[in-house]
Amino acid sequence: MQPPFDDLRSFLTTLDAEKQLLHIDRPVALEPDLGAAGRAVANLDGKTAPALLFENIDGFNDARVALNVHGSWANHALMLGMSKTSTIKEQFFELEERWQKFPIPVDRRSEAPWQEVTLTGDDINLFELLPVFRLNPGDAGPYIDKAAVITRDSADPDNFGKQNVGLYRLQVKGPDHLGLQSAAPHDFGIHITNSDTMHQGLPVAIAIGNDPILTLVASTPLEYDQSEYEMAGAWRGGVPYPIVKAPYTGLDVPWGSEIVIEGEVIYQAREYEGPFGEFTGSYSGGRALPVVKVHRVHMRRKPIYEHLYLGQPWTEIDYLLALNTSVPLYRQLKEEFPEVEAVNAMYTHGLLNIISTRVRHGGFGRVVALRLLTTPHGIGYSKIVIVVDETVDPFNLEQVMWALTANVNPEFDAITIPRMYEIPLDPTGNPQGITSRLIIDATTPKPPDIRGEFGTPVTAYPESANWERILKEMIR
Amino acid sequence: MICPRCRSSEANTVAHSPVAGVWTMSSCPTCWYAWRSTEPAAATDPDQYYPQFRINAHDIATAPRIV
Repeated sequence: MQPPFDDLRSFLTTLDAEKQLLHIDRPVALEPDLGAAGRAVANLDGKTAPALLFENIDGFNDARVALNVHGSWANHALMLGMSKTSTIKEQFFELEERWQKFPIPVDRRSEAPWQEVTLTGDDINLFELLPVFRLNPGDAGPYIDKAAVITRDSADPDNFGKQNVGLYRLQVKGPDHLGLQSAAPHDFGIHITNSDTMHQGLPVAIAIGNDPILTLVASTPLEYDQSEYEMAGAWRGGVPYPIVKAPYTGLDVPWGSEIVIEGEVIYQAREYEGPFGEFTGSYSGGRALPVVKVHRVHMRRKPIYEHLYLGQPWTEIDYLLALNTSVPLYRQLKEEFPEVEAVNAMYTHGLLNIISTRVRHGGFGRVVALRLLTTPHGIGYSKIVIVVDETVDPFNLEQVMWALTANVNPEFDAITIPRMYEIPLDPTGNPQGITSRLIIDATTPKPPDIRGEFGTPVTAYPESANWERILKEMIR
Repeated sequence: MICPRCRSSEANTVAHSPVAGVWTMSSCPTCWYAWRSTEPAAATDPDQYYPQFRINAHDIATAPRIV
């Protein structure tokens, strides 16, 4: 494993060396070029699509915009210090193994590159400081959509583990004025609710342009009091994550960020926000959402503004929210059901999940699925759960489709649960925030669930593994 | 200035391109739509704005609160 990356720039250097970065130096308009290019790169081969670095932005002297940094399995593997040809399943188990190192104490530092420039008061105009842009035509305006948003719990402000680092969309509404989205079950939502209850604003830091592991952790459904920074250390292979105190809010922010914004979520303020084209492939409707007043902007000289394209899947967000959603669900299921072999929660941030498990007895598959629905992430996201035998690779959709066709009798194996809570971004919500759940138990029935004619499975000669190796070598 | 999305007359120019004269940004303090002068007419012209994304005072007043 290579040493972990401390900032975005060092990762871009590696992507460049691995031919996974395209430098785009022709002049580009903020709209529609950047959003259009973000969509276009997501349409390329997801195994190998490159990151994009735009270096000549209309109206700016020296702005740079990075897109699609996480947007392929090759880039995802390089982030982990693995070969860029690593399979999805190899990356899944690598993340799972590193998770076991959690927690790794942080590396506290006093100086950071983002301290080079600080702006206050009337010098803050986010539209002029940063190359923010409208991503999709119906968006309400420019959004910051790949920043680590850092807050503490006002009811327990000294608790480092409850300090949250998460990815939340931020609408740039005015020069020092942001809208933000968080739902009630999110850690950020809990922090907003707690500060409102205490009749006070919530200090917030917004770190843009980070090393790739921090972004991965910030979009991982950790438990409420688990520190994202201590998990970043684990996912860096045990190398402590470097953080620095932001001077205005005292919040801990990444050492390596390109830009750090400090401000306050205004007490009880709610304003119209959205629509915004979301990861579901649909625009969210307009909502009454909290508001941030910006008080400080810190940045490196000539910072790299990192952004993420999202729209109809698959796009960069689907690579980012893939294995970091699958691994925690796998670990939570495995605690009570050691028979679970792997979990694929890669589809639309886990609105669909595929569990591979050995089957203890008849009816076991649906029991495992029901447990998934009560995990912290499952409560808000797991709308559809497919359960397959341990012999089926849940990351291999051809095998999963085979299990559905060969094992499922809809009369017995398709189970719906009405009127369940879910995140209010799913277009099927009725009303928004409420939907049914569907479990499809595609495991082979076992006693005492005796039915069908499930004969002896066809197993190949053991020599087929050797033949597979021979054929692969001949093709190479 | 008229907001292309909600037609409020309260919209203002709020930013100028760092390279002078390339673009301006405008923002509406009623619906918080923001747009750049160099965007296509469907984003900047109240008469050509996308019909499916138009909103009015009722939409703003009844927007659901989720946190």
